[in-house]
Amino acid sequence: MLETTLDFKLLEMCSRCGACYSICPSCMNIPGYDPREVIRDILSGEHEKWLSSRHIWECLECHYCVEICYQHYGFENAMTALRMVAARKGMHPPQVKRGWDMFVKTGKLGEPALPARKKLGLPEPGASGADEFRRLHALLKERRAGAGEAK
Amino acid sequence: MREFAVFWGCTIQARFPFIEKSTRLVLESFGLPYRDIDGFTCCPEKSLVNNIDRGSFVLTAARNVALVDELGLDLVSPCTGCVSNLSTVKGELNADPREKAEVNGLLREVGREFKGVSRLQHLVPFFHDTVGIHKIKQKIKRDFDGMRIALHYGCHMIRPSHALKNDDPLNPVKFDNIIRGLGAESLQFMTKLMCCGQGLDRVDAHDKALDFARVKLKELKAIGADALVLCCPSCFLQFDNNQFLMIKEGERLGVPVIYFTELLGLALGFSAAELGMTSHRVDCSPFVSKWEALSKRPSPSAGIEAGLTGPSALG
Ligand code: SF4
Ligand code: SF4
Repeated sequence: MLETTLDFKLLEMCSRCGACYSICPSCMNIPGYDPREVIRDILSGEHEKWLSSRHIWECLECHYCVEICYQHYGFENAMTALRMVAARKGMHPPQVKRGWDMFVKTGKLGEPALPARKKLGLPEPGASGADEFRRLHALLKERRAGAGEAK
Repeated sequence: MREFAVFWGCTIQARFPFIEKSTRLVLESFGLPYRDIDGFTCCPEKSLVNNIDRGSFVLTAARNVALVDELGLDLVSPCTGCVSNLSTVKGELNADPREKAEVNGLLREVGREFKGVSRLQHLVPFFHDTVGIHKIKQKIKRDFDGMRIALHYGCHMIRPSHALKNDDPLNPVKFDNIIRGLGAESLQFMTKLMCCGQGLDRVDAHDKALDFARVKLKELKAIGADALVLCCPSCFLQFDNNQFLMIKEGERLGVPVIYFTELLGLALGFSAAELGMTSHRVDCSPFVSKWEALSKRPSPSAGIEAGLTGPSALG
């Protein structure tokens, strides 16, 4: 449950457009970053070769492409889908793995810096919702297993 | 004004507690009805969590929104990413009753319900729309007349616009309006809306993150900006920490990076130290000393007032 799909009709249109290439900050600043190629490959059933590419992790999710897109779709949907497939195969960058582990365990990406807070005279931080968050994650897992899904 | 909970997010509380400090000082000075509530988790960070498990992304955000829904509060955050992520999920669930039912089926088991009614706002549009520039002008003790400020909106303050609906996603104006309201010049420059690039630092691409920071900082140096003003902890990390690393390697940068709440705090009469600006990696004092020097100028009316009130023909 709660999964993403790719819209091939929109991607088809996309492969004949390319407008957002000229506003995408990664296209402008990272040599070799070109979602147009990625989309062509997805459409011809050859997405696999991108799974190990660092380029799929270089999309900044700045949403520029979505905003300029006449379909309100954007390159990023293709890039996100490939990142998701790669992550399921365990092919995500080590730093992403570490971030995810911390998130799942603590419900946060970092705990409040208590000594610094004290020095600044800040109040106690609000209680964390980590316990409930973990229960919710366990429930999601159960539901998925119940629905006979892979994960 | 409805009461609101402040959503601090992970990065500010873990890495930049001084941003929390200046935010609290500013909210209190304006007498705004804010509250701290228990139970929040990571918003969650989309580029991390959504890539690995979309279900977890949606569920975690929905739970955070449910917490404010339940208390009848709105939500305001000094982090662009948090608001953007929470709003994205809120918008999606409100538009998709089937998914909303699925999510609520799970939330119910922990005693929560996502209604999706609370207003979620980032601090900058909140000050623009809800507090109002006239109110800011009334409250401040000293403006920034003569200061040249480069703004960095931060992508997620304004995009995705279908979820945030708070400004033009390609030509935003609200942050500019506030800066001008504070009396400063808001510089217009080529890389103004360029993404900060901090995301690259989260996927083991540190050198590329530096490349992104460098492009903007070099332009700011060239046009002589007094400071880069922003309101997002990720962008702050990128331009303060990463700039510091580059300066240490001998690059001649040196653009003070100032959080929106710090700028507002200075105008309200707090000192840089009280606002925690001394904790920045890149020295802010060039900005503060220029501003102080400007304030020592005689006011434009001083000469004519002396002429009008001095000895007259009748003695
Ligand atoms: S979201 Fe990704 S693909 Fe889209 S403009 Fe930004 S960096 Fe480029
Ligand atoms: S994402 Fe939209 S704007 Fe970009 S190439 Fe595809 S159709 Fe064109």
